[in-house]
Amino acid sequence: MGALEEAYLSLEEPPRSDHLWRYTPWRRVHPTGDPNEIPSGISTPEISLTMLDGREISGITIETENEISAPFDGSPTSISFLRAITNGKAIHVRIPDNWRSKVPMVLDIKPTGGLEAAHIHIEAGKFSEATLLTRVQGGFEWLGLLRTGVTGDGSHLSDVLVNKSQGGPLVRVDALRLGRDSSLTAGTVSAGSASTKADIRYLLDSPGANLSVLGSLLSTGEMQLDHHIEINHIASNTFSRLGWHTACGGHSTSVGTGMLRIEKGAKQADAGQVFHNLLLSEKARANSIPELEVEENDVVGCGHGTANGPVDESQRFYLMARGLSDKEAEDALVAAFLNSTLSEMGSDDVHQWLIEAVEDALSDL
Amino acid sequence: MLCSISWADKGVEKPWLQGWLTRVIVMPEKEPVLSIKDLRVGIEGNEILHGINLDIAPGEIHAIMGRNGSGKTTAASTIMGHPDYEVNSGSISLNGEDLLELEAWERARKGVFLSFQYPQAVPGLQVGHFLRKSVASIRGEDAAKGPAFRQSLKSAMEEVSIPRTFLSRYVNDGFSGGEKKRFEILQLMLLQPKLAILDETDSGLDIDGIRVVSRGINAAIRGSDSGALIITHYSRILEHVKPDHVHVLIEGKIVKSGGPDLALELEEKGYEWLESEAEIGE
Repeated sequence: MGALEEAYLSLEEPPRSDHLWRYTPWRRVHPTGDPNEIPSGISTPEISLTMLDGREISGITIETENEISAPFDGSPTSISFLRAITNGKAIHVRIPDNWRSKVPMVLDIKPTGGLEAAHIHIEAGKFSEATLLTRVQGGFEWLGLLRTGVTGDGSHLSDVLVNKSQGGPLVRVDALRLGRDSSLTAGTVSAGSASTKADIRYLLDSPGANLSVLGSLLSTGEMQLDHHIEINHIASNTFSRLGWHTACGGHSTSVGTGMLRIEKGAKQADAGQVFHNLLLSEKARANSIPELEVEENDVVGCGHGTANGPVDESQRFYLMARGLSDKEAEDALVAAFLNSTLSEMGSDDVHQWLIEAVEDALSDL
Repeated sequence: MLCSISWADKGVEKPWLQGWLTRVIVMPEKEPVLSIKDLRVGIEGNEILHGINLDIAPGEIHAIMGRNGSGKTTAASTIMGHPDYEVNSGSISLNGEDLLELEAWERARKGVFLSFQYPQAVPGLQVGHFLRKSVASIRGEDAAKGPAFRQSLKSAMEEVSIPRTFLSRYVNDGFSGGEKKRFEILQLMLLQPKLAILDETDSGLDIDGIRVVSRGINAAIRGSDSGALIITHYSRILEHVKPDHVHVLIEGKIVKSGGPDLALELEEKGYEWLESEAEIGE
């Protein structure tokens, strides 16, 4: 047994009193259902990196490396498990210092049907500007995805994950650390996988870091989505916003929990998070629980909120008065609801690409 | 209807002559674009409209004036088919076709257009996409694509002073009051309805805004077979869009109808004198 496996097995099963595991306990999304087991035979999905316009990648390196650890502690159970089953190896996407491109990169992750896992480490060099679209598509029995990364000082990174996969569960853990005066736009677009447990964390421990976290999620049928987003402000003059939109139809269940933490010393921090759930059927369920811990008095602002509700009847009537049938009006309002966060995830090209990525899912509503 | 000829207006005084002339020059009646008969409407059990009658002939512009709470918006919403309003009795027909059994979108496709008093914002829905979708729904797919559509969109936007950057904005999201009203008129021009109902389109507009909006209304209605119903508190917009008939609505009843001069009289005298008359009438 390797050190990583021993490290995982030494951990206690996380209790459900933990904010992170309250709705979806670890054993429910563990590949065998037994938290004390590390299954063998977990394979790596196909992974490729291309430019959106079809040109060859230039300057970016993508290599498998050993000994890449998460950039900060957090979610020890799932990170430890994912590191154990990937044997500590990671696909390292390195964006060099000062590298800039308006053309997005597409990182395709294609599971092949079994128990699979991958660790992607993203390193955005100093003063680089890049957009990375990570697309997960294909079927799987179980998929673990650990995404770690750092943004270099003064860099601008748009990092959008699009989940169009089938099967499940998908266990996703993100742990990204923002450099000084860097900005990160982190998007999640989800219209797939029967079950998703995501633990997404950001660390703002360098002054001037700027984070925008956006979610456009569609849960349909019997889907179960559970996203936990944790944002830690440690350094001064840090900024974060979270806008998380989930449209819930069928018998699906969606959970969004947030933890916004302003630590002592994070002076002039400015942070806010809002969860919106659009309920499209009487059987759909949505829970959003944003939490706030503020230990610093000298902040610009810090707030959180949540809103759940069905389609707005006044909006529906307005569209129907313009000739859209009841169904067309509802579809348009769902698309608009998701688009209002989708459109903030990147350039017009990125926006168009994202719309095309999810429009078939919308047509299934 | 007698081809819009009113004997009283023409000063014909001899009844026998009226009868003779009637037999000679009467024309086939044009079916009204909108015909409302004895309409009684309520909401949550409270009756708001107490028997409204109104005919709008092709090409005519009618104005309904009245105070807040007199039932103007109820009338507009009911014609459009708002589900909150219950029609207790009466009828509404468009070019002879009963509207009451139709949903709002079906009425829109038949040719009813409502310019909302408070247009709804729809964050996430781009104006350009919305306009194409709406035109396609009402006028057909072919009308919403190609150079002809682009040209008509460009012309209409110029007419109501809306810049092209609007097309990428979200519907009414962050629009000023004037922008919302101009956007409503832009839709009116593109959708080319048979009946346009303009619910307090002038409210919140400055003088220039009223002029721009009026220009759009005139361009959409004048010279066409469409009819229009302008709902307003004030006579100001009626200086720019001349109505053929003015009706005064008080407590859910049309208490007086007349020509354009009635609007001026209301501006001068207010509504009180009509309220007194209505009470005497009761």
